[in-house]
Amino acid sequence: MAAVAQPGATTVVQQSAGGNPWAGPPEGENVFGMITQNVSRLTEAKPPRAWYVAFAIALALLTMFGLSLAYLFYTGIGVWGNMVPVAWCFDIVNFVFWVGIGHAGTLISAILYLLRQDWRTAINRAAEAMTIFAVVCAAIFPGIHIGRPWLPYWMFPIPNQMGMWPQFRSPLEWDVFAVGTYATVSLLFWYMGMIPDFATFRDRSTTKIRRIAYGIVAMGWRGSSRQWHRYERAYLLLAALATPLVLSVHSVVSFDFATSQLPGWHTTIFPPYFVAGAIFGGFAMVVTLLVPARQFFGLKYIITLRHIELMTKVILGTGMLVGYAYGMEFFIAWYSGSLYEGFTFINRLFGPYAWAYWTMIFCNVVAPQIFWSRKMRRNVWVAFAVGVIVNVGMWFERFVIIGTSLARDFLPSSWGYYVPTPTDYTTLGGSFGLFFTLFLLFCRYLPTVAMAEVKAIMPEAHVQHGHGGAH
Amino acid sequence: MAKKDSDSEHDAPHGGHEDHGGDSTAAVTDDVRLPGAARVAQIAGGVGVVGVLATIGLGVSAGDDLRSFSFAYLTAYVYGLSIALGALVWVTLQHLFAARWSVVVRRVGELFAASTPVMALLALPILVPVLMGNHQLYEWVDHAAVEKDHILHHKHAYLNETFFAVRLVVYFVFWAWLGRYWLTKSVEQDRTKAKGLHAKLYGVSAPSMIALALTLSFAAIDLIMSLDARWFSTIFGVYYFSGAVVAWHSLFALVLFWLQGQGKLVKSVSVHHFHDIGKMMFAFTVFWAYIAFSQYMLIWYANVPEETVWYQERTNGPWQNVAWFLVVGHFVVPFLFLLSRHVKRNRAGLKLGAVWLLFVHWVDMFWLVKPSLGRHGELHGLPIGVMDVTAVVGVLGMLLAAAAWNARDKNLIPLEDERLAKSLAFTNS
Amino acid sequence: MAAHRPEGPPKLLGVVAEYETPTALVHAAEKVRDAGFQHWDTYTPFPIHGIDPAMGIRPTRLPWIVLCAGLTGLTTAALLQWWTNAVDYPWVISGKPFLSIPASVPVYFELTVLFSALTALGAMIVINGLPEPHHPLDLKERFGRATDDRFFLYIQARDPKFDESATRALLESTHPEDLDDVMEDQSSPAGLPRPLVIGLAALVCAAIVPFVLFVQARQTMTDQPRIHMVPDMDFQLKYKTQKASAFFADGRTVRPQEPATIAVGQLDEDEHLHHGRVEGEYARTFPSALPVDEAAMKRGQTQYDIFCAPCHGLSGAGDGIVSRRAQDKEQSMWVPPTNLTQGYLRRMPVGQMYELIGKGVRNMPAYGPQISIEDRWRIVLYVRALQRAGNATIEDVPAAERGGLN
Repeated sequence: MAAVAQPGATTVVQQSAGGNPWAGPPEGENVFGMITQNVSRLTEAKPPRAWYVAFAIALALLTMFGLSLAYLFYTGIGVWGNMVPVAWCFDIVNFVFWVGIGHAGTLISAILYLLRQDWRTAINRAAEAMTIFAVVCAAIFPGIHIGRPWLPYWMFPIPNQMGMWPQFRSPLEWDVFAVGTYATVSLLFWYMGMIPDFATFRDRSTTKIRRIAYGIVAMGWRGSSRQWHRYERAYLLLAALATPLVLSVHSVVSFDFATSQLPGWHTTIFPPYFVAGAIFGGFAMVVTLLVPARQFFGLKYIITLRHIELMTKVILGTGMLVGYAYGMEFFIAWYSGSLYEGFTFINRLFGPYAWAYWTMIFCNVVAPQIFWSRKMRRNVWVAFAVGVIVNVGMWFERFVIIGTSLARDFLPSSWGYYVPTPTDYTTLGGSFGLFFTLFLLFCRYLPTVAMAEVKAIMPEAHVQHGHGGAH
Repeated sequence: MAKKDSDSEHDAPHGGHEDHGGDSTAAVTDDVRLPGAARVAQIAGGVGVVGVLATIGLGVSAGDDLRSFSFAYLTAYVYGLSIALGALVWVTLQHLFAARWSVVVRRVGELFAASTPVMALLALPILVPVLMGNHQLYEWVDHAAVEKDHILHHKHAYLNETFFAVRLVVYFVFWAWLGRYWLTKSVEQDRTKAKGLHAKLYGVSAPSMIALALTLSFAAIDLIMSLDARWFSTIFGVYYFSGAVVAWHSLFALVLFWLQGQGKLVKSVSVHHFHDIGKMMFAFTVFWAYIAFSQYMLIWYANVPEETVWYQERTNGPWQNVAWFLVVGHFVVPFLFLLSRHVKRNRAGLKLGAVWLLFVHWVDMFWLVKPSLGRHGELHGLPIGVMDVTAVVGVLGMLLAAAAWNARDKNLIPLEDERLAKSLAFTNS
Repeated sequence: MAAHRPEGPPKLLGVVAEYETPTALVHAAEKVRDAGFQHWDTYTPFPIHGIDPAMGIRPTRLPWIVLCAGLTGLTTAALLQWWTNAVDYPWVISGKPFLSIPASVPVYFELTVLFSALTALGAMIVINGLPEPHHPLDLKERFGRATDDRFFLYIQARDPKFDESATRALLESTHPEDLDDVMEDQSSPAGLPRPLVIGLAALVCAAIVPFVLFVQARQTMTDQPRIHMVPDMDFQLKYKTQKASAFFADGRTVRPQEPATIAVGQLDEDEHLHHGRVEGEYARTFPSALPVDEAAMKRGQTQYDIFCAPCHGLSGAGDGIVSRRAQDKEQSMWVPPTNLTQGYLRRMPVGQMYELIGKGVRNMPAYGPQISIEDRWRIVLYVRALQRAGNATIEDVPAAERGGLN
């Protein structure tokens, strides 16, 4: 954990914050107080103008999302470009894309926790929030993709008037359980982490409404050590449960495709390949969100260059894993000797969707290579730009898998070419509006950084043995 | 993924790690030399050579054109190779993740990682018959069959004797170089006491890991997957990798226990280190199950004939019991057993787990390789015999001999690594 | 240092000490532990590494509770999938068995994790006694920093070892920043704040409303037509066979055949073969154009199994799976299919049976459009065989094979 400026470091030059009440170095009697103040002021002071501008844009996009969905429900899914043979495209692409984004949060929280990666504490809360919001965006698409939003309850095992049960041998049904469980557990994990921080907000509150609101969600947490003991054990258990869960979710999503017999979908490496891709895209999204957040919201004292650099390394590493999967798919497509497999991959390279394929290769494999350079890893705006590029690339990866495989059926007479409609684009763009709206509200009202966890890994938090009390 | 502490070397103001024993300096009071290593190498090597020669002798005298020999030997060979490669992967990952907990045990890993040349030597009983046109093991060596079979003909550009040999040479040159590199650099530091070596090794580790991932995957494809030359699975390299990591950590724990029994590393390697190794055994047992299930599920569900046939062979007849044994023995039992923190921190418990995992990993290799013996339908009952035992004894003996031989003039701990103090003070909850 | 407040009624609940660093707190905790106190606690902004042994906190039983929950989840998943897909609603999907273990694994796993995770959080909350709206320490302004940057130690007066002056002295010896008495809270009401309770109760009541509406909707009949959510799907812009057409002069949607033409394959001049009649009467023999042989019987069996067996059953006894399911569901409107091997059907001329297959009878739809003329005859042939088999005696079995029967 790099530090909130150390207690003695009063030499920090007062940066001109441009009237931004969220910026400027944090104050406090000791390092713990400084962390509290740095994080709490985001919810206590009026936000800077950047927040309002961002929120206005996000709301506009969200409105577009709402209108697109209303148009969809009123008219039917003919408003999308779906056709035979590409009977689903943007809806499922967006679903897989958002679920993938939703992986980094729990990965950072759970896996890095088990791996004793202390640096995670600076970013895990924001990443978890991002996870929840991404899963919310993802969950919308299965709900709307038939244009009949009153029917998705058929997916749940509820006794109904039809005397029918969901089909548990269908990968789409596994999705319901995997994504549902993942959303629930992520929410629990997120909420549980916030309980002590809500208590901090409650105890700092100056208005009655804040005291009551944060008091309810803090549930009377007062930091008792006996409670901390059980809390930590429960947190460890949740982390241990969430780790295989993260792997399972995108594996199950990959089963949607890989259990079929369609060339380009049916390949055994899909589960780990999807998971690697999800972590890759998720980390890229964390970087995309946190670089501006630390810049404009005064969090650079907690989220330091070192955190950005470590995240870029994860992006590079998972990018290589994704590259390995691309390569292995190609090799086996040739090695299998299957005419259809071979054609599918030649078609990706040189067929009508070659533009999408090469966009994907550039974004996911070529662009992250810049992170071999330490200088580039430590340049936040380069990290931000590559984060955006990787997000584009990961969206295209899903498009390439789904679009190109469907558009070239076994019979040339059934071939087609998918052309998205404007509504396809506004739905995709609008989902970002929902995501950013939720994230900006999170920055404004919830503890953006896990204060208790950051404090716990400060050098000052360690008990010195061998000599007496503090004075 | 391996355990790592943050690579805090990059930013000056860092704090807060679990281990706060940073003020203590490296204070290894243990005996770190193994003077008996040469003797161990001689004994293990002797046993190994006898084992390999006995297998070859039995194989030649079986009079089936080396057929039963080839399959028995290949099973043992990919088993031993997986352990050596597991060690190589482990050491590379420790550098890649700048791990600090493992510094005190890293040298033992390096000794095994540097033992791949002996695996190259041991590859000859497979390679020589292939080059001589013996097609009992790999049907793609059979030119008459290749001419008649469209798929085999298609693959001939990749699956042919010359290219097979060239690839094996390339793999082994790289593995031998990498293992030797990790060991030499680390030993060199013992002597020169140079600081900052880990930063340099970190730089080497990233590209090495990529090359290692590729060579390991293709070695698995060449040696095992091409036994059934019509079958293919993109996840196969990952499958072999997952088993390799499990097997390596198991052997690793056993070797460390043995060393402590010899009075070495008694104080430096604590229950916390063993606990971490136990966690890795547990984690990769689960990972293996995940990969194995993914492969099975996708092939079972899609039910494409050219893919399903591989599982058809491996889940019917006598192999059905082996498959169920793997489900229970390679996943359910070790999962429940190693789930417990007390088991991982208990010497007898961890030892038992390690021995068991080494055994089931062999069963896994057996189940991958041997069913191909019956691809012409002449198989009745499990093809297991004396040769399987002698081959495993031979390969493992040679592997241990190579590692011991590497140890004869070296410290068992990289004494000059700056992070040693952190590793010694490492605690694990 | 705050003075002891002697003002009567409020009871002394304990003493609280404040420390500036975790180290000071841990050392103080060790002293208190060694003094043998039971009812005491420390309050910190974050979990302190090493405080558990310093306070003598024993490991929690939480993991065991979570393990039980996980096993419950696994069992639930197993039972749910088995009951819904293998027992209550067995349906063949892509040739997989009703109870497919590999296909069940994802849900086994997910529910195990879901139950465990919910329990981990829930049990943590319950064992910790949360939510805890009031606490005596809340009266202390300084205590607010327990969630910020200060560390507190609180010994309760109800502890048997508690002795006002001795305990204070003990805490004094740990050099706290501040040492204070904790008095009974007489100002705050007991229990949850009233508005909160009312709010929660209102929320619970509101949550029940949708379910009540569902139940009511399921219980009531209506004579109103159903609501059309998607009018352009319910009323599509297309002509249906028997609907009137505004386009054609005769107002018919279905176009009549052009005069003096015969569609391909619809020439039906052979009375016996096409209509099952001979000189106006139902034929009692098979048409001569169709050979009655082993091949015809096999073909008839195949076609029967495809088209007839779902209702009439594989043996013709009227016990096909459609019928059995309808009876399982106790569908009162269901008319069971005829038993083909008994009664008048045994005496029915083959020509009549042929006609019934093609044109349908009572509940049975016409299969003429689906089954070719030749195959209809072959089905009749096979039904004859079923009738023979359904009324067979031991004499029908070849003598050589009678031994195999019991």
